[in-house]
Amino acid sequence: MSPQNQVWDQRDYLEERRLSVRISLIQVLFGAALGVYLMTFWYLQVVRADYYRRLSDSNHLRRVTLMPQRGLIADAEDRPLAGNRIAFDVRLDREKAGDPAALLPTLTRILGMGQQTLEERLGRYRNRPSFEPVVLKEDVDLKEVAYIESRRLELPMLSVGIESRRNYPHGALAAHVLGYVGEVTEEQVRKDVQGEFDLGDVVGRAGIERQYDPGLRGAKGWKEVVVNSHGREMQEVGEGRQPSPGRALRLTIDLDLQATLEEAYGEEQGSAIFLDPHSGAVLAMISRPAYDPNVFARRFSQDVWQTLVGDPRHPLQDRVSLSKFAPGSVFKIVMAIAALEEGVAGPNRVDHCTGSYRFGERVFQCWGIRKGGHGWIGMREAIIQSCNVYFYRLGNEMGIERIAKWGRLLGFGGPTGIDLPHEEGGTLPDPEWKRRAVPRDPTWHPGETISVSIGQGALEVTPLQMAVFASIIANGGTVYRPHLVRSRETREGVEEGAGDGSVVREVALRPSTLAVIKDAMWGVVNEEGTGVRARIEGRDVCAKTGTAQVFRASRDIDADKLPKDKRDHAWFVGFAPKDDPQIAWAVFVQNGGHGGTVGAPIARAVLERFFAKRYPTGGGVRAAGATTLR
Amino acid sequence: MLQARRHFGSFDWVLFLTALALPLIGLVIIFSATTGTPAASAFERQALWLGLGLLALVVVLAIDYHTLAEFSYVVYGLGIVLLILTLIFGRVVNASKSWLGVGGVQFQPSELAKVATILMVAAYLGNERVRGLGFTNFAALSAIVGVPVLLILQQPDLGTAMTFMPLLAGACFMAGIRVRTLVVLALVVALALPIVWGHLKPYQKERVMIFLEPTRDPKGAGYQLIQSLIAVGSGGVAGKGFLSGTQGQLQFLPEQHTDFILAVLAEERGFIGSALVLALYFIVFHRCVATARAARDRLGSFLAMGVACVYGGQALLNIGVVLGILPTTGVPLPLMSYGGSCLMSTLIALGLVLNVWMRRLVN
Repeated sequence: MSPQNQVWDQRDYLEERRLSVRISLIQVLFGAALGVYLMTFWYLQVVRADYYRRLSDSNHLRRVTLMPQRGLIADAEDRPLAGNRIAFDVRLDREKAGDPAALLPTLTRILGMGQQTLEERLGRYRNRPSFEPVVLKEDVDLKEVAYIESRRLELPMLSVGIESRRNYPHGALAAHVLGYVGEVTEEQVRKDVQGEFDLGDVVGRAGIERQYDPGLRGAKGWKEVVVNSHGREMQEVGEGRQPSPGRALRLTIDLDLQATLEEAYGEEQGSAIFLDPHSGAVLAMISRPAYDPNVFARRFSQDVWQTLVGDPRHPLQDRVSLSKFAPGSVFKIVMAIAALEEGVAGPNRVDHCTGSYRFGERVFQCWGIRKGGHGWIGMREAIIQSCNVYFYRLGNEMGIERIAKWGRLLGFGGPTGIDLPHEEGGTLPDPEWKRRAVPRDPTWHPGETISVSIGQGALEVTPLQMAVFASIIANGGTVYRPHLVRSRETREGVEEGAGDGSVVREVALRPSTLAVIKDAMWGVVNEEGTGVRARIEGRDVCAKTGTAQVFRASRDIDADKLPKDKRDHAWFVGFAPKDDPQIAWAVFVQNGGHGGTVGAPIARAVLERFFAKRYPTGGGVRAAGATTLR
Repeated sequence: MLQARRHFGSFDWVLFLTALALPLIGLVIIFSATTGTPAASAFERQALWLGLGLLALVVVLAIDYHTLAEFSYVVYGLGIVLLILTLIFGRVVNASKSWLGVGGVQFQPSELAKVATILMVAAYLGNERVRGLGFTNFAALSAIVGVPVLLILQQPDLGTAMTFMPLLAGACFMAGIRVRTLVVLALVVALALPIVWGHLKPYQKERVMIFLEPTRDPKGAGYQLIQSLIAVGSGGVAGKGFLSGTQGQLQFLPEQHTDFILAVLAEERGFIGSALVLALYFIVFHRCVATARAARDRLGSFLAMGVACVYGGQALLNIGVVLGILPTTGVPLPLMSYGGSCLMSTLIALGLVLNVWMRRLVN
């Protein structure tokens, strides 16, 4: 072997040694990495196994809420006023859609909707898990359902969902009685300690729907399901709980009377309410302008909502229990009762009206001034003719304290307690009230008493209070709590409504007082009074008209020629029949002018229907001229 | 005949049986992961590929690796041509053009290019004249590995391209790269890194970011990582049992029969199963290393170590992703994941190693 070869061998030997070391290093490196992996497996699968098992369970077990059907609302004769219907929605499965933005032109064409609306609806779901479908279009008709369903292959991302939706078959009829439903507000969810609400739940937001919401809503059920990664339900596990449907309500409202009232009320603004004077049951009730509660049952009602809230005529406002106005001349009845009961005046008190009344430096006018006043006039005639001067003087003699006392007894100055979510109590001014409410001028001026005496000044009442007041006169002194629910379904069966427990108080009224008042109110309608347009032969309709001043017209201006929004508000409050009252009411027409002109025909229409229903063969009619109490 | 018998007697049964056990375990998991899903035919197809792969292994085994090394230029050239054809005629799957169809059979040329490159590198370094790695040799080596990598990056398939890196690194290291060369190389890489980051696709950047912060996008790329960890962790010590892993069965795991097959195994078989699989991979790697040591020449050593580095590195990459240690790269687990091309290339590569072992003794 040559030395050269030996050198090469030597080099080869060293190179082989180095190679071996390098191979070992790579081997160690790989072994170390596997060792780290083994330790990681140990950490995940042994040390933290419980933690990951919990995550795994919550991953694939999902609690699905089962929504109950909302309770039905029916009228007094069990005719449906609010129910549920099946609605079809078009939904987008974002997991199948890929890039929704690229789909927009197609969707716009298929659904016939604006691209902007679609973008906005998609945008709402930006932070929701992608297995949750996006509702793109609500309430599609069967034609559209068929179109979508038949294009499953072309449009796999679209599906049709079925939902139960609140339905009001009569639309805007009795809208303010029923109220409306809507999605629960975020604030409600936040304040909900019992965890009853989830976002997206439908709850009553106004009217009966809100007042009786806990019962109507029913109780949610749930089931536990195994879902796959797409959120698709694979199987049900465990028992779960069935939802218990909402409890049905039967209202005191009579659909026939309600429909008649709705029609008779025409295009006017204002409200009207008819009561059973012997129970406080509301037979019909209207507030105008109204709205269609069906629009709120939809998911996308925000625009409609904005329109209604922004409407200067405030269609959402319930003008029966939430709006308050001066009672005008109707308050003269309160004055007369107070005077008779307090002994300030007898029924035969006579006064002289010259058309105006000077008190201190102010002159208070009587509407009869154009013909030189009412002249010598008694209490009955003063009510029928609605003479201001007679009551100015009576009020001045009686004093505000006694007026307020009787006003309170007869149901003013505080809420009536009707089963609606909110109610205004109105204002019954007296010195005590003024001290509190008008710190700028806390002393009561006697002149204010004069204004209150004819139902003006700071005095404010709700149409509902007026109807209760009419009922008190009609039934001889019992104050009932007005109510809208006749019976409600409970777990045990059917619970009859408020009925017995609804007497608020008894007001001791002398029969002689009642006789004078009723006779005068009969005269308003049946003699040449202000309410002749409500006269029904044989039904002895009793009523009092009133006007609440909106604009202080000078005597030279003809009130009927004023623009509509400057005209006075009109009242027509009463009961019938005189000797056996079966119905009491208050009709209020905003800017209606005179109560006898616009209010009386509305009341008359409802009364005719009421008596026609109660006496289908024409019974109960008093023989002509049989009673006249003079 | 006598020679063949002698070779047969020195056959590495341990490596062969371990390498056979892993695809069989893989088949069971593929069955479990795909039952009731649209990919249910995966089991049968994988079984067929396993058969074909074993056949290829035997063919590779029968030819002396020296002969194969002589034809390495041809094999390598064929691999490059196929990669170019893929870029032209390839089928796009998951936004990557990495599949080529020949007579109804779809395969990924990048997997075959892997074996070809290993052979080429070994043939180059096995040349007795190459001693110590200077700039010229390093440049040549980089070119051999770089050409297929660049072609694969064009598909683009970052994951597969990355599996070539251990080959280059391992080869350089084994050939004894000079410290001077290494320093210059480090400087070049440090300078190139920001430029590379700038050229990454947004989804690739997102993957790196997600890896750094998994909760960043729990329904997107981070979702895979979280679901994989839940699958592995909820398996516990003994596992949930065959067909009982909720993460896999309910399809919470993405790519459950391909890239995340080990997560399905870990869920259904627990720590015991995971540890067993790690042990099997260690044995395979160890046998490859043992072959490299025992090889009768440098060619054999480089061949065995090339296979060990490429497929061992790929296994480490895949398991690291499943365990959330490495960012999601989309690399299958050699021998176990569903996928004919990958299984085939791994078995051919192991055939080369068995070949080297069988012919380790100078006659």
